[in-house]
Amino acid sequence: MLEFIISKYNFWFYVILMMIGLYAMLAKRNLVKKLIGMNIFQTAIILFYVSIGVKAGKVHVPIIIGGHGTHHAIKAADYLNPLPHVLMLTAIVVSIATTGVALAVLILIYRRYKTLNEDEILAIRQAGRETGA
Amino acid sequence: MKTVILIFVILAGGLLLYGTMDMPAWGDPNSPANTYVSPRYIEEAMEATETPNIVTAVLADYRGYDTMGETTVIFTAAIACALLLRGIGSARKEEDES
Repeated sequence: MLEFIISKYNFWFYVILMMIGLYAMLAKRNLVKKLIGMNIFQTAIILFYVSIGVKAGKVHVPIIIGGHGTHHAIKAADYLNPLPHVLMLTAIVVSIATTGVALAVLILIYRRYKTLNEDEILAIRQAGRETGA
Repeated sequence: MKTVILIFVILAGGLLLYGTMDMPAWGDPNSPANTYVSPRYIEEAMEATETPNIVTAVLADYRGYDTMGETTVIFTAAIACALLLRGIGSARKEEDES
């Protein structure tokens, strides 16, 4: 039982992080908090993928030891799995791009409505529609 | 509404927790992710690309076109930010004056 928990608990932490992010995205009324929830969600996914590439034991980071001078055969079991790291590098770039654009949109929303609360924005829009503006 | 969301989130999390039961153990060197394609990259990257850092070799050489597309993503985001925030400083100045 303890062995089972030790072999799985990292995944459970990422699921909890993902639940926090999902809850923040759905339940929070402040748009900045929604954005922070999205970032927490993305971080959970990134951590999950990076943890898949881990190999237990005496393993090196995926940089060939000795650099260009090496001529001995490289064994795959001696190095961590580099592919999840590469994929998550791409995911980090996309997350930065979406966060930047979202923050720019939030600045414009705040300038127009003077609030970032979703309910207040909807109320202002409803009032504007009723007066025919 | 918040209870509905909480129940949905707990359901989604429970489904994922159920999914982790079939995941290979953390750090298992014989897990599918560590044995399917990655050994080939680790063993051949140095010879094929002359780059000791395998992550760099895969990012900039094997997946070079993907990385080029990624720069397009960043460029598009930068242009979108620039267009959205265009003239925001001068507009504030006008508000102060009026």
